[in-house]
This record gives sequence, structure tokens and C-alpha cells, in this order.
Amino acid sequence: MAASPANRRPSFVSSVLRIFDLSLSEMLWSRRSVFLALLVGGPILLAVVSRVVWMFGPNESLRINGGAVSGASIFGLMIWLLYVRFIVPILGVFYGTSLIADEVEDRTITYLFTRPIQRGAVLVGKYLAYLACTVLLILPSVMVVFFLMVPVGGGSIAQMFPSLLADLGMLAAGLAAYGAVFAWVGARVKRPLVAGLVFVLGWEPAVLLFPGYLKRATVAYYLQGLVPHAMPQDSTMSLLLQTFADMPGILPSLVALVVLTAGALWFAARTVASREYVLEQ
Amino acid sequence: MSLIAAAQVSKWYGQVIGLNDVTLSVPPGITGLLGPNGAGKSTFMKLVTGQLKPSKGRITVLGEPIWQNPDLYFRIGFCPEQDAFYERMTGLEWVTALVRLNGGGETAAIEAAKRALDMVDLSSAAHKKIGAYSKGMRQRVKMAQALAHEPELLILDEPLSGMDPIARRKTITLIREWGRSGRSVIVSSHILHEIEAMTANILLINQGRILAEGDVHQIRDLIDKHPHTVHIRAEQPRALAREFLASDHVLSLRFEADAVIVQTGKPDLFYAQLTALAASNDLGIIHEVTSPDDNLQAVFQYLVK
Repeated sequence: MAASPANRRPSFVSSVLRIFDLSLSEMLWSRRSVFLALLVGGPILLAVVSRVVWMFGPNESLRINGGAVSGASIFGLMIWLLYVRFIVPILGVFYGTSLIADEVEDRTITYLFTRPIQRGAVLVGKYLAYLACTVLLILPSVMVVFFLMVPVGGGSIAQMFPSLLADLGMLAAGLAAYGAVFAWVGARVKRPLVAGLVFVLGWEPAVLLFPGYLKRATVAYYLQGLVPHAMPQDSTMSLLLQTFADMPGILPSLVALVVLTAGALWFAARTVASREYVLEQ
Repeated sequence: MSLIAAAQVSKWYGQVIGLNDVTLSVPPGITGLLGPNGAGKSTFMKLVTGQLKPSKGRITVLGEPIWQNPDLYFRIGFCPEQDAFYERMTGLEWVTALVRLNGGGETAAIEAAKRALDMVDLSSAAHKKIGAYSKGMRQRVKMAQALAHEPELLILDEPLSGMDPIARRKTITLIREWGRSGRSVIVSSHILHEIEAMTANILLINQGRILAEGDVHQIRDLIDKHPHTVHIRAEQPRALAREFLASDHVLSLRFEADAVIVQTGKPDLFYAQLTALAASNDLGIIHEVTSPDDNLQAVFQYLVK
């Protein structure tokens, strides 16, 4: 028999990259991705409809409640309402909680946990695959919406382009933070999806409405500090948010998100390393 | 040095006991872990592969504790029982990806994967998606990922289940050759003759306890020391019964609709007499001879008694 393919185990970084490589295509072509691609397709559909209305409508700009609104403002509104408050957290919950849970449910975790790599590397590799997968899902959606909406009402794509880059960076940071938090929840909690949905659809919107320090126990609080667009004033809820707005600056937000992401990932890796996974027979 | 050493190892799943105060030492070579479904074989396999941590006691594999010791997996190959895969990958892609987790470069991993697929006779299906594999092929590709990195110790959980007779024979040969090459194998099964075909060294497990360890022939002897039950469906069961009653080795008799059930202390003598009676055809046709004692459950019942 020929020599063994390797005589020493891969480093942590190398293990992470190998797990990333193994997981990315599995994640990209999963049923979850198809479903969530439909979700991120929603804003595109909305943008197409707005663009058609503008092109064939009687006015030079779109009108909301009788007032003229530029395409760039609508784009900003969509970033706030659709991406920051809904799509990014939802992607984080659905993918983040399933990083290890899917492998356990499919009973393929055995193959990864009986290899000479640290369990933490499995989690981090899958987390990076999640990040790549969600970025690949969300960024094209944002760019299409940007190119469809900004010219509406005579907006300049060139002038707004730096803001698009800021949006893309901010959304990637949001995906990273939510993904890490929910990777930890997924590693720790028995029904992580329920816990995650309660967090993003219940806890976060609720505590952001109230003054005080409680909002610092959310990801959204720091993420909104990075949004380059003005907070919309389209509803009572938004007005309340504006009233109690305690928006952190860009740097503190960035630092907080980095710390949150790294901390949650570290705890998630520790949890995965020490936990027993009893597979259903 | 023992391959696996367990000292008073117990494993509970909440209120349910999976393994109960097991102390054993597995020598190098091929060892069969034999037990009925639900006996604790998979729990034992999961403990020795470090997927589970003992609730009590200590377990070492190749001289080191296995729990949270990823370095040891370089020396171990594990073929799990569950039929679980990345279905969209081809056999070659999957085995290569798993071998890459053991270190080494892409080319070496591909070579090792090809070699392993060849060993389990799957070369022709290497580029086929696993989702399109038959049950037997899926079993074999699982074997391939376990042995591709050429581990010192191969741990196989029910590796023959779902294989057709030819693949079964080839796998048995492969396991024996693996053992002959100086490496060790632990293989679990609930079928006695499967284990006997691979090794004489067995561990008998039932209800979370190791009931016996050692040579399979000793276990056979244990079986033979106990009364052996034979169920004979025949044209004239009462006439057969009269013949049997004259023999010393028949301990008891009872009747069912068209059958006689005999308990004998000497199965070899009894079967010889039965064969002679069947051949003579003097007492009518014998339709069917079965022995409930041939199954493994009966062995365990004897041993528990």
C-alpha cells in the first residue's frame, strides 16, 4: 500500500479553510438558500415595480403620500426597512443557527468530528462559508436595487456610489455579527431557530423603542450606527425610534460589532468543542 | 499494549443507560463487537471514537484519552452506522474532502481517495453523485473514507448492513487483510456469522454490559452447554416425537399444530438422528427444521441466565 497522504494534522487556519471549502457549495445549493434567495429577491421586485411606475407615470419623481421622493431616498428607505431591520437578521438567524444543527440533523457531523481537526475549526469554517454564502445572496440584491432606484427622479449613480459601498460594508458587518451570535445560539440552545426569531423579531425591535442601556444588548443598535442613510420617518414606530434615538458613532459601532462577532464566535467554538452531539438513530 | 482500555465506563442519556460499568481491554488485531440492536454497540463505538464522553469511568484508545483529543483521529478511521452523506457530491469528491481534513495537499488527498475507492471496488462509480448510489455502494464509500488515510485502527459500525453478498464477501476479505497487515479493526455487528467470518476474537454486549470477551468458539461452547431447542414441522409430528423420546439426549417435547418442539442437550447427536429420519422417510415428510437458538438473542439469554 502507498504512503499515507499526510503525516501531520493541518493547522487551525488550514482546517478552517478546508471546512469552508467543503461547506460552501453545500450551503449555497441548499433548500434554505433557495428560499432565502426568494426573500432577498423581494426588494428587487419592489424596485422593478417602482422603476416601472416611474417610467410610465405622469411625474418626474415618485410620490409617497403626495410628496415627491427621490430614488436615492427610497433606496435608503429600503436599506433601513428591508435589509437592516429584516433581511440581514433573518439571514443571520436561519443560517447561523443551522451551522452545526444541520450537520447534526443530517447526521454528517460524525465525519467532521472524527478527523484530526479541532471542533472549533469546524464551526469557524462553516461560519465563513455562511458569510460568503449570505454575502453572495445579499450583495447582488442590494446592487440591483441601487441601480434600479437611484436614477429615479434624476439621481446620480456616480455620486451615490460611495454610499453603496458603505451600505455593502455595513450589511456584511451585520451578517457577520448576526451570524456569529446565532452560531453561538445554535451551538448552545436546543431550539435555536425559535430563540433566534424571538430575538430578532421580538427583543430587538422592542428594546430599541425604549431609552436606556437595554438596547446595547442588541446587534441592531450597533448596526444602525453604520447605516449611511437617514432613519426613515414613515411610521409611528420610526418616529418613536427617532425620539429615543441614541445612535452610536461609526467607530464605537464598528468596535462593538467586531467585539460582538469575535466574542460570540469564540463562545460558539468553545461550546461546540465541549458538547456531546447524540445523533438520532 | 491494549488497543482500547475501558475502566468502569458508564454512559447515560438522561434516565436511559447506554453503557453500564464496562471494564475491558481490547487487544491489537481484529475484534468483533457483537450484540443485538439496542445492546449498546453504537454507544460503545461513539465513546471509543470520542463523539461521546463517558458519564463515568475512563476510556483510552491507542494509549491516550480520546475525548477532546483530535490528534488521535489521525490514527483512527471511523465508518459510522448512519446512512448520511453530502448527497450532491460525487464519491471521489466526498472522500477527497474528508481526507483533506487529515492534512496534506489536494493531490495527495485525491490519490488517497482514489486508492480507497479502489479498495472498496467503487472506482467505476467514483464520479457518480452519492445521491445516486445504491445502499451497498453507500456503505462502501463510507468504508473508503474511513480507510483512505490508512489509520492504525479502523472502527467499523455495522459495515456490512445493506451490502449484497458479493460486496459483503469482499468487505470481509478487506477487513481480514487489513488485520493481517498488522493494523487493528474493531467491527460491530448483530449477526454472529458475519463476525465469525472476520475474527475469532469477540466482545459480546447486551443491555449496556459486556457479557463475554474472548474467542468466538468459547461462546459457541457456551451455547452448546445449554439445552438447544429445535422446531420441526412435519407430516407426522407425533410419530417423530415417539422416536425422539427413546433417545437420551432429548430433554423435553411439546407439540404445536403440525410441529414438534424438541429440547436437546446434545444438538450434534440430535441433528444426526433427525437427518437419518428425514432420509429414511419412514415417518413421513419433514417440511421444515428451524432452531430459535441459532439467533444471537438466544445466546444472550443463555449468558444472562
